Amino acid sequence: MDGDARTPLGHNPIQIDANACVRCTLCDWVCPGDIIYKEEGDRETLPVVAYPDECWYCGHCESVCPTDAITIVFPDRMLHNDSDVISLLGVVDGADGAATPSSGDD
Amino acid sequence: MNGEVIRLETDVAVVGGGVAGCMAAIPALEAGLEVVICDKGKLLERSGSVGGGVDHYLTVMETGPEWDTPDFLLKHIPELTDGIVDMEVTDRVVREMPRVLRKLESLGVDFTDPRTGTYDRHRSFGLPGAYHINFDGTRFKHHIGQRVRRGKARVLARTMGVQVLVEDGRAYGILAFDVRSGDWYVVRARAVVLSTGDVNRLSKNASGLAFDSWHCPYNTGDAQAMGYRAGTTLANMEFTETTLTPKGFSTQGLNALVSLGAHFLNKDGERFMFRYDAKGENARRAVLADAVINEYLEGKGPVYLDCTHMPKDVLDHMEATLQIDRHTLPAFYRQKGVDFRTDPIEVSISELSIRRSGLYFRGSGIAVDMNGESSVRGLFSAGDSATVSGGIAGAATLGHIAGESIVQYAQEGHRLPEVVPGLADRLAAEAAAPLERPDGPGWRPFEDRIREVVTDHAGVRRTARGLRHALEALRGLEREEGRLGAREHHQLMRVHEARNVRLNGEMLAEAALERQETRTGSAHWRIDFPQTDDEHWRSFVLIDRTDDGPGVRTLSARGPLSAGFRRTAENGG
Repeated sequence: MDGDARTPLGHNPIQIDANACVRCTLCDWVCPGDIIYKEEGDRETLPVVAYPDECWYCGHCESVCPTDAITIVFPDRMLHNDSDVISLLGVVDGADGAATPSSGDD
Repeated sequence: MNGEVIRLETDVAVVGGGVAGCMAAIPALEAGLEVVICDKGKLLERSGSVGGGVDHYLTVMETGPEWDTPDFLLKHIPELTDGIVDMEVTDRVVREMPRVLRKLESLGVDFTDPRTGTYDRHRSFGLPGAYHINFDGTRFKHHIGQRVRRGKARVLARTMGVQVLVEDGRAYGILAFDVRSGDWYVVRARAVVLSTGDVNRLSKNASGLAFDSWHCPYNTGDAQAMGYRAGTTLANMEFTETTLTPKGFSTQGLNALVSLGAHFLNKDGERFMFRYDAKGENARRAVLADAVINEYLEGKGPVYLDCTHMPKDVLDHMEATLQIDRHTLPAFYRQKGVDFRTDPIEVSISELSIRRSGLYFRGSGIAVDMNGESSVRGLFSAGDSATVSGGIAGAATLGHIAGESIVQYAQEGHRLPEVVPGLADRLAAEAAAPLERPDGPGWRPFEDRIREVVTDHAGVRRTARGLRHALEALRGLEREEGRLGAREHHQLMRVHEARNVRLNGEMLAEAALERQETRTGSAHWRIDFPQTDDEHWRSFVLIDRTDDGPGVRTLSARGPLSAGFRRTAENGG
């Protein structure tokens, strides 16, 4: 679904232990990305990680939780990363690397 | 559009409730002015890049030694910024630093070491004196945010600013929306402060996750984009910043290990850093990043950071302090199954930020004068969105200067335009238009393409041809903006952020194409102009809005940026 950016990764980095959670809203309040939603004044509902794919992995929610109910879990592509760092360093036309000075462009 | 359109009247409207925005609000509140402050976060006490805490603060204190004077630090700033810096503004910021330090202490920030009762000062980041105070700043932002709240500022939480209202070259308010309730705010104000920090989500990193970023991924250059659209001049947009990270997690935390004695090794096990700098791993951070980039480009990657030779007490200290830089870093290593005591850590570079290119006092963004005022009268900026920026201290100090200047500006009695009937509803409807297209293309694939273009053609290695290609692609993306859809206001926020990231990327590419030299290493490395050219390029690259998009011009860096302002509003009432 193109317009819906909720779970393309299929990974929820913010794991909430329902038995330990006291439904207090603090995780919602400190999240800098508007990712965790907790209904205020409702002692029944759990916080919902509405946009797991937009998590910064800052751990503010984990550190503020009064009952240590939150654990940040990293996805496999962060823990076991096999990407090629060279792909982050730019493309120069006609050359595989960019280290050669003055390729004659322009 | 749903949600109401709410009209507010105030003296000062602040967009971005981090250190700079709050420090601008405080003098205004003290002078009895009314302040409306909006932030995409919920709690002013936690908002901004250091909402989670900070552990060092740069300042002169005038304690006696020559190095601890403004004059001494100022003398060294041109060389520390490779000659591209607005010294007029920097001069005022550095001279105000001791006073702003005292002000922060009066708000409750304790900069002293509780064990000794004195300031624990260190020399670092290549600065010519022990200007950094190491302190427990866990509650630093708490004190500042609380002062603003107690000062009876009206706080619009989870609210994103999208537009500055301007008439005849003068700002008179903002448009913003609550990302949860969908309420729209049209705030009529005598002065506006834009202080939303740096620009992230701009290029790719190892994990490929846009929100896995070294700096705050919710800082998307909103101020720079709003300023540009309102007609402010911007500068230094060609300079980007990257850092070294554990591969897979774009976080700070490696530099701390390096400063304690870790070694970089390439795939051959060679400790290569001495080939780049006589100081080896003690070289400036920018040198370290450049060296690692070069090793990878020469096929000598992967690069590792090796701590295995270090004594046990240092390793113990490392482990105990690992979470200072990022709370989740110990968990990352644990879940990865890596122990830096016994395993070398594979190193990557982070994504790019437009954020003072890793230097102190040369900021990138909205050009400001020595009052923190932009080329649009009544529109101020401070922090990482402004052209003089020096970390937390720079944000606090220029923010405070802007706040005091606003007190003066507000007394000048400029005519404050009315928000004409219908305007508020029309602007809100325009900004909410993506909600009318719930099945339109999403912001995420749009943003992914920005990152590909910037990484490939406007990143750590640049050429004229590549930059032209980047510009063409980024302008092409602009034409797709009008089709982007959103299902609710959270997604609408992301649509606006994505548009802002794109615009900042376009300004970056325009400015980088203009600057035909290499300066500050990978901050602006032109393969086709590999030398630093002081004869022709001791100049700022300025950006202004034109009918055809961002237009560039240059200005001698021997004078202030304000010399290039084309202000249309008259001075005085």
